[in-house]
Amino acid sequence: MEDGKTASPPGAEGGEEDDDFGYRLFPDRNKEPQSFLVRSLFTFHNRCQIVLCQNNIRHQSHMNRVVAHELIHAFDHCRAHVDWFKNVKHLACSEIRAANLSGDCTLMNEIARFKFGLKGHHQTCVRDRAIRSILAVRKVSRETAEKAVDEVFDACFNDLEPFGRIPHSKTDAKRAYKDFLNRDRYTANL
Amino acid sequence: QPPRPCEDYRWEWKHCRGLRHAFHHYYAHGELPDCGRWRDDYAACRAWEKDRTAAARVPPGPSGPGGGGKHGAVWALRSCPPPDWHRPLDRGAAK
Repeated sequence: MEDGKTASPPGAEGGEEDDDFGYRLFPDRNKEPQSFLVRSLFTFHNRCQIVLCQNNIRHQSHMNRVVAHELIHAFDHCRAHVDWFKNVKHLACSEIRAANLSGDCTLMNEIARFKFGLKGHHQTCVRDRAIRSILAVRKVSRETAEKAVDEVFDACFNDLEPFGRIPHSKTDAKRAYKDFLNRDRYTANL
Repeated sequence: QPPRPCEDYRWEWKHCRGLRHAFHHYYAHGELPDCGRWRDDYAACRAWEKDRTAAARVPPGPSGPGGGGKHGAVWALRSCPPPDWHRPLDRGAAK
């Protein structure tokens, strides 16, 4: 995946999560000061891994979310020709999908970040987090990131693969899995 | 046979009409969900079970979650995962 990391200022408090939006491909590169709290790494050391640093993940639900987020990137890498490094729109699309489908932008998570909103706020959150993720892993301007996100947002927000729905709950997740198990029947009878 | 068992359409319709789903849909899309399509599909499925006639067929269209996964051509899809999917990415190579 991308080579990047996110600055998560040490001791950040205020109830707002300082999320790691990026992931590091080669952890031995980029000798950044140890003040960065890298919360998730996606490393390829001859075997595919998602490495989580436990120093900033304190709840099981948070870990689940981060793993789901990274797995969506992995899924995108396997199913499409994604140019992670040279095409900001490709990166933006994957970040939109990951923020949308991983549970990053649930109402409770947003409230915990002191970001309040209801009507369509999920999309606002997804857009904002996608922009932040791009800025965390690529040296582009904010305008470039915003432009890329805006251009691909409609298409990528509505790309719900592999779930077919935004999994808001365990019920949704179980239903999505059931649809996956029955996918052959579905496609054969369309 | 129908793409899904008839009971699946009924379940989706009931789920769609529920308060929890309505809330999530409003939060995600800024509007309440339209559950009519699930109802119509369920009715068509039952009609097809009773009498396999063309009248029970539902015109194709976005049905169910994801609307058929419509999305613009941001990426070119692969036919299979890259053989080196497990290896470090090559920053210089276009994907």
